[in-house]
Amino acid sequence: MSWESVIPNVFARDAHLDASRAAVPPMDDEAFAGFYERSARSLWAYLARTSGDPALAEDLMQESYVRFLCATLREQGEVAARRYLFRIATNLLRDHWRRPRTTPIEDVPENFFARCGDAAQAESQMMLGPALAQMRPRDRQLLWLAHAEGYSHNEIAEVTGLGSASIRLLLFRARRKIARLLGEEQRGRAL
Amino acid sequence: MMMRPCPREKEVKELVERGHWPVAAETAPELRAHVNDCRSCGELVLVTSAFQKARAEAAAAAKIGSPGVLWWRAQLRRRNEAVERIGRPILGAQIFALAVNLLLAVVFVVWQARHGFAWLSWLEQLPQNATLHLDSQWFDTLWPFALFGSGWNSLLTPMVLIPAAATLALLGGVVVYLASEKQ
Repeated sequence: MSWESVIPNVFARDAHLDASRAAVPPMDDEAFAGFYERSARSLWAYLARTSGDPALAEDLMQESYVRFLCATLREQGEVAARRYLFRIATNLLRDHWRRPRTTPIEDVPENFFARCGDAAQAESQMMLGPALAQMRPRDRQLLWLAHAEGYSHNEIAEVTGLGSASIRLLLFRARRKIARLLGEEQRGRAL
Repeated sequence: MMMRPCPREKEVKELVERGHWPVAAETAPELRAHVNDCRSCGELVLVTSAFQKARAEAAAAAKIGSPGVLWWRAQLRRRNEAVERIGRPILGAQIFALAVNLLLAVVFVVWQARHGFAWLSWLEQLPQNATLHLDSQWFDTLWPFALFGSGWNSLLTPMVLIPAAATLALLGGVVVYLASEKQ
């Protein structure tokens, strides 16, 4: 005996939900594969550089895509989808930072420290890494979204959930601070 | 701290983001001079260049998995969420059925207590009937309705039949649910 024959009304309600969801059709697997190819690298870069942890970035990236696929999009188009994806990732990262740190060193994956020292990342890591490490997590996110992803203040507000006016001020302060840190870094290298 | 945005910031930002800086500065010495003098534009060039470079390197180093796995995981999660959503009213119905059954059991016990548990006398007679002689009187004592009183007419009242039917219906529903879930 199937569920439908026992409680048909429950499925009638689900059908109604599916109908409302159909206002913006979810991506099919082929569309998703294309979207993933175009967005995964930049999302990973965002998560890896703002968290400073490539393994965490990988986990959060996968979770971001799964949540993205399970969600109902309010707007259509790749730009909106990408922004929504970054919003999910930003919230996941924020949740991670809010969680108490109780992971013992034994639980850290073996390749974590090796991956942190990848040669491919060495140059920009040497330049930006120490400066970013001195920034607050939220400032790192704002700076990355503004200067690496090229998002406008309104777009950053949508991604982070902060007010557009606050973004302007926070970004101004963060940029000033990281510019000073980068300048010091450059001068230190020149000497 | 004063926020004084430079009117040329947008132009400079666009050049840096498109990767035209510092080549554009070589062809436009006036712009280079401005960036050297303007603190806001100077910071913008420094910060945006560093972030663009970091982004390019990190994106190149990214080891991304298969989208098919994520698609499958999402489908599985959606399915689980749908099952959970459907299961919520079922759980409510189960709790309701359990509550009704408990209530009926309590009512039954109270009712029996008021009538002095007359059927217990059957247990006292049991050793005497150990030889299992099949006389009609003994069968009458085994018949459940006979346990409640003296005759059929007094037992087949709505007060007994309705709760009994409701209990059977609810128990039947639970059995159907458990059977379908196992399937």
